Amino acid sequence: MTATVRPAPVIGGVAPGDRLDLRICWWITVGFYGLFGVIFVLLARVMPPPGADLSTEQIVAFYADHRTTIKIGFGILMVAIGGAAIASGIVAYEMTRMSVGKVFVYTYIVSLSVGALPGCLLAAICCLTATFRADLDPQVTELLFDITFLSFVGSLGCFVANYSILALAILLDENEVFPKWMAYVTIWQIVTELLAAPVFIFRTGPFSWNGVISFWEGTALFGIYMMLLIRLVRRNITTPAAVS
Amino acid sequence: MRRRLLAMVPSGEDLDVPGSINMWLFVVGELFIFAFYFFVFMMYRTHATADFVGSQRHLNLAVGAGNTVILLTSSYLVALAVQAAREGSHDRARRLVRWTVALGVVFMTIKLGEWAYEVRHGYTFPSDDFFMFYFALTGVHLFHVLMGLGILGLVLHELRTPALQRQFVVEAAGTYWHMVDVVWIVLFALLYVLR
Repeated sequence: MTATVRPAPVIGGVAPGDRLDLRICWWITVGFYGLFGVIFVLLARVMPPPGADLSTEQIVAFYADHRTTIKIGFGILMVAIGGAAIASGIVAYEMTRMSVGKVFVYTYIVSLSVGALPGCLLAAICCLTATFRADLDPQVTELLFDITFLSFVGSLGCFVANYSILALAILLDENEVFPKWMAYVTIWQIVTELLAAPVFIFRTGPFSWNGVISFWEGTALFGIYMMLLIRLVRRNITTPAAVS
Repeated sequence: MRRRLLAMVPSGEDLDVPGSINMWLFVVGELFIFAFYFFVFMMYRTHATADFVGSQRHLNLAVGAGNTVILLTSSYLVALAVQAAREGSHDRARRLVRWTVALGVVFMTIKLGEWAYEVRHGYTFPSDDFFMFYFALTGVHLFHVLMGLGILGLVLHELRTPALQRQFVVEAAGTYWHMVDVVWIVLFALLYVLR
């Protein structure tokens, strides 16, 4: 992608420059997503998700096997979740440099903020409850397990709005803050989010919450999207402007 | 090494493609994504061919074929619109794009009617693996038709505004609409025809 090495555009006669405050926010963003990956994949073991067709006994065993790591992982997340605000804030800052109206920025921030509740916090809290209250009725544990993964994989409305508004902003932006192809990469996220909706219906197969389409394909494309977005923000905040 | 690799990738301005290089990247990516869905469909179908064929009999081949003709015709019209825009006949191009939009709407209406028919007869999303793929894949395709109609709406705005009328926008929209058509042809073959 040649666009990633081009100098950042100058907007309103002001070069984005090499600003320390933005660099700090960028590193916090990278650190937050790194921590997010460690917590969800290595500690809490919810990525990749366990099967949607587990029996009650298997679910109880899942929590028993990973009790300590879930407590450590999601316990850290309860403290570090604020990093999500900086991660969306730095993209919102880039959007303020676009030629589009501020309503795009507000929509981006609000949709991510609301989406983080079912997409991250509710899942983590249900998982923590199931592990900290080990004497729960197994059927209640099963309910918490279902809520964890249905909200984690199946909550998509706010994210669809989030991706849509970012894609539209990039396409309409005349300042070329982000290259146009990034809008299309963002549109792919909308499609994969929509295909996560069937997780409420299917317990097995490609559209279950650990299915090859609903989970794996969406996660792979999200990884690519996130890396490109972080890379482009980095380009904009560190590359000296071509014209001053 | 990295710089040498990057030098091998032509930038947008260096590539002489109709429309926009970004749209081509988008279309190629979309085709990869759909190819993945088709691959997963074929994996499941191979393991239960008889079941898939049994459920497939509940689809109406004539309706599927009719929708294929409608979409192919719309693709032909959008190609004519690109041609007209190239020749500077923007009014003609606009009329052709309007017809393309109309056929896209007809396609969507028929598809929604077909869904309603299947559901009324008890064939729903969770009925079996075939109908799971049928509703999911035609649903994703329908979403792309909807996006295509949005893009064509943008083209109508371009063609109506003398200060705009940018050729690459018309061509990029045509590129996207052809992709929607190509994907449908494969879907039609997999869901309706393949025995």
